[in-house]
Amino acid sequence: MNLVEGWYAVAIADDIEPGTSAGTRLFDRELVVWRDLAGVSHVWEDRCPHRGMRLSFGFVRGNHIACLYHGWAYDTAGQCRAIPAHPDLAVPETIKVATYHSVEAGGLILVHSSLGAEALPPPAPAPTGHALRSLYVDLAPDVVAERLLQDFTARDDGSYAGTLAGAPVLVFLQPFTATRTGLHLVLAGPGDAVAVSAASEALRNAFEASPTALEAAE
Amino acid sequence: MRKRVEMVFLGDFEPESFAEFMRHRAGRLSVSAVAGRIDATRVDVAVEGEPDLVDMFEMACSLGPIDCLVREAYRQGQGR
Repeated sequence: MNLVEGWYAVAIADDIEPGTSAGTRLFDRELVVWRDLAGVSHVWEDRCPHRGMRLSFGFVRGNHIACLYHGWAYDTAGQCRAIPAHPDLAVPETIKVATYHSVEAGGLILVHSSLGAEALPPPAPAPTGHALRSLYVDLAPDVVAERLLQDFTARDDGSYAGTLAGAPVLVFLQPFTATRTGLHLVLAGPGDAVAVSAASEALRNAFEASPTALEAAE
Repeated sequence: MRKRVEMVFLGDFEPESFAEFMRHRAGRLSVSAVAGRIDATRVDVAVEGEPDLVDMFEMACSLGPIDCLVREAYRQGQGR
């Protein structure tokens, strides 16, 4: 699975409440998505620089996230600010978590795939609508994209537009791993959210039930 | 306050791997680490920085990369 630079949805914004964190993946790289108590979301490499523990297992305290393992605490820029075992230490700026550029739009948390980039990435997609739900499909991202194109239309912002249960929807793909893909649904107009949700599950089941091109060739 | 210590690690080393490990950890901890001898059984390194960070560097190197095994670590002048 080759990384294709760009913006990707990695979570529904409402799923990450203030003071919480969650782990996810993009191109098989582990990410932590967390929201500080001021309500700002952050997407970082999911790895404490100290011993490599996943920060998604950590605790959010105010505008810091602290590692579960030894309590190293990081501010919203990823800079380590406190090491409990060395309370008097002025923590050097080199102890820092690698971060991603991220934004919230259309009820989604979107991240640009360039880890640690200082330069600002191109503008992020700005879908309008209401983020509905996320689903995960046990298929490769390119296979899912191919299947979506049978009934949906690819848009310039990387999403796919179509209808589910008669309602207009946008689908944002999250290349999770080489064999797993996230689908983040945005309800782009009037529609029955419950029916759209059920239709999206049916779509996933249909994707997973049909053979991939590789399997069909065997 | 900075301190300078001469560290010695004894064990089984892949010299290039251990050297890269030391460079990475020294950079992360903002200490200077100047390696003297690095061979398959011994690494000598002069480390300078904030005392707590020098201690962290020693602990990190005591664990080492996956392909190296540190059997003993001590500081010159402080005995084994």
